[in-house]
Amino acid sequence: MEDKTILELKNVRKVFGQIVALDSVSFALKRGEIHGLLGGNGAGKTTLMNILYGLYRKDEGEILLRGQAVNIQGPRDAINQGIGMVHQHFLQISNFTVLENIILGTDVKNKYTMKMDEEVIKVKELCQRFGLNVDLNDVMSTLTVGARQKVEILKALYRGVDILILDEPTTNLTPQEVDALFESLRVMVNDGLSIVFITHKLREVLSVCDRITVLREGKNITTLDRKDASEEVFVRAMVGEKMDIENSIYFATEERQAFDQTSVEAPKLKLENVNLISQDAVQRLKDLNLEVFGGEIVGIAGVAGNGQRELAEVVTGVVPVSSGKKIYLGDDVTSKTNEDLLSSGFSYIPEDRLSDGFLPKATVAQNLILGQHRIKPYSDGRFINWKTVYAETTKNIKEYNIKTNGPGDVGGNLSGGNIQRVLIARAFSMDSQVMVAHNPTRGLDIPSMDFVYQKMLSRREAQMATLLISEDLDELIRISDRIAVIFRGQILGVLKRSEFDKYAIGRLMSGITSENQPSEEKTLP
Amino acid sequence: MDTTIIDFLRLVLLSMVPFVLAGQGTMLGGRTGVFNVAQEGMMLVGASVGFLVSFYSGSIFLGVIVAMLSGALFGLALAYFTTSLKMNQFVIGLALFFIGLGVSTLLPKLILGITLTPPLIPTLKSIPIPLLSQIPFIGPILFKQNILVYVSILVSIGLWYFLFRTQKGLELRSVGEYPMTADSLGINTTKMRYWSTIIGGMLIGLAGAYLPMVYAGTFTEGMTMGRGWLAIALTFFGGWSPLPILYGSLFFSAIEVLAFRVQVIGSFLPYQILQMFPYVATILVMILTFKRARVPGFLGNNYDREKRSL
Repeated sequence: MEDKTILELKNVRKVFGQIVALDSVSFALKRGEIHGLLGGNGAGKTTLMNILYGLYRKDEGEILLRGQAVNIQGPRDAINQGIGMVHQHFLQISNFTVLENIILGTDVKNKYTMKMDEEVIKVKELCQRFGLNVDLNDVMSTLTVGARQKVEILKALYRGVDILILDEPTTNLTPQEVDALFESLRVMVNDGLSIVFITHKLREVLSVCDRITVLREGKNITTLDRKDASEEVFVRAMVGEKMDIENSIYFATEERQAFDQTSVEAPKLKLENVNLISQDAVQRLKDLNLEVFGGEIVGIAGVAGNGQRELAEVVTGVVPVSSGKKIYLGDDVTSKTNEDLLSSGFSYIPEDRLSDGFLPKATVAQNLILGQHRIKPYSDGRFINWKTVYAETTKNIKEYNIKTNGPGDVGGNLSGGNIQRVLIARAFSMDSQVMVAHNPTRGLDIPSMDFVYQKMLSRREAQMATLLISEDLDELIRISDRIAVIFRGQILGVLKRSEFDKYAIGRLMSGITSENQPSEEKTLP
Repeated sequence: MDTTIIDFLRLVLLSMVPFVLAGQGTMLGGRTGVFNVAQEGMMLVGASVGFLVSFYSGSIFLGVIVAMLSGALFGLALAYFTTSLKMNQFVIGLALFFIGLGVSTLLPKLILGITLTPPLIPTLKSIPIPLLSQIPFIGPILFKQNILVYVSILVSIGLWYFLFRTQKGLELRSVGEYPMTADSLGINTTKMRYWSTIIGGMLIGLAGAYLPMVYAGTFTEGMTMGRGWLAIALTFFGGWSPLPILYGSLFFSAIEVLAFRVQVIGSFLPYQILQMFPYVATILVMILTFKRARVPGFLGNNYDREKRSL
């Protein structure tokens, strides 16, 4: 590897309103390396790279590219300078074809007929060289997340970039797809590219990066060579001095005792042959059977959009089932509304906190009692007892570390991570028999994630049932007693804690069960 | 009998022009995400200005040009308030509608004063295309029309080719689908939105100018009679695509001509019912094609690069 710096960011500062997102951050990228940019949520990783890519304007600092100061005003400048970025939320036009998405914004040879034979040859050549196989005529919306990401990478390669930024590229990929991605990245750096790999997952940077820079709360903490540093050093750099790593669940290495199903007779929650057909006549859930016992955490794994949201909404009564039965503590609750369920021992952390879980114009206190505002202690059935509400919510704000001016503050003033804390506080502060948590740690930094895990485990101790739906496979493996894998609305398999295996779950996530699995062994010598 | 059908179809083609032009103008702006709802006002201004300029200059051509410029001005205003100032598109659109409505009646009163006999301009003559107009049946329907009928058909085909067969067209559509993507690939979303709205405004202004130049020979208050509002329905009906909008215009125009006939000869159906048909048809079509109905993904929204999503 040449030891030559291709890109340098010096003392970059960015302020959003009152929040300092980046405070004098410096970063250097060498030619031909994969450089990990590691940090929890809100560390400023994406903001830093968005500045480099011209999507945000920096308030202070300078960018040196190949030794020269450059002024990047917008993405066009960045692309012209050979910088490409693969965003976490893909920037694609879903009703365009793959080819159209790749060539969009570049000059096509036949720009008045759009006969793109030459472009097709060029893209196909790239596909082959880097092992990124996609059908160029497919319409984007029909593709899997993995394939869409390949398109996103091809878009950058097609523009001939020599610096490629990948923002959380493994979100929503199966472990197999992650391995394939890492292989492609290796080919790219061997080809002379330099790669910035943004992630919050320590294991990923350790397995693929050459050097690693850690950011925390908008500050540059350290930059280290992969081979010079141990895992502990990075963990400490990521979370800061305050967190107790030894007793954390996030970094736990010891095996924990799995839930023993023989000790309880009946599940708290049981779904029997649940089907859900949506308004546009698509089957969202198919013959779904699931049991959640008191004292266990059942994880639902799957690539996003395979029925997780529908499952959460069916269980909590937001959406009625099309057929099938829901049994709660032995009673048939199939036809109960979510109002009934919430007041009889259900709690729910919805996936989309802004549209389903939070009222930005209401106060923090109002948001914290939402759903329980009709029952004791907050209400006597007719009137809300605001004194109790304020007393209780002040306690919650403190316990759940919600950064706000107080219970009377308007909800919309909170940041995304703090809104998530409100949702968590609301769900955990009531002693619910059944909790449905959908991506509960989204947008939280590591200490807060760990706090949520502690809370979930104490629910487990208290013999409550928890259904954890998550896009983060590591999270599910970390905390679940059993994992059920959902694919196109069907549960393809349920694994016990002792059987957890990333790759086995990954196969189920892409729809491969033991019956239809191609025998891989035969092809090996 | 044959001549009645020919006459009817000829009239349908003649009356489709304002729908086609206003529909395509709306579609073009919408394809970059700017949802224009000021058509009715813009068409009235086009009609008023087009008539006045033609009357005083004696040149219909000049009237057409100025009508298009007035439409462009409204388009520019819409683009500026929504794209640069990021104000709500519907509010601005409705404001522009009322401004157009007012200006269109004010101008003739200021310039012409109150007259007993309405001043007239010569209406557009039909231009038979040699040879083609001799074809039986089709000839008189398709090829014995005024120039703007031909123009509106050519504009539709031209827009289809531009949007779906050129690089700029692809880029323009990407802005209306997901401007963040377009922006990240170095496409100037602001410029695209301005141009599409301005050129769309020109077409809408022209659609208005057609009314005094073909139907009445003069300008009367509110002479668009809701055609501008129908243009909005038409773009949805046509799935925001140039060719379906052209076909949809034929349908809307046929109903208009029918309603007019019914009003003249009398029928068991009150003509107001017929006048409701285009709206009812739009709703029915939208219900039937609900799953396939394509609307530009970012229609009606304004894009702000640095606005952080919560």
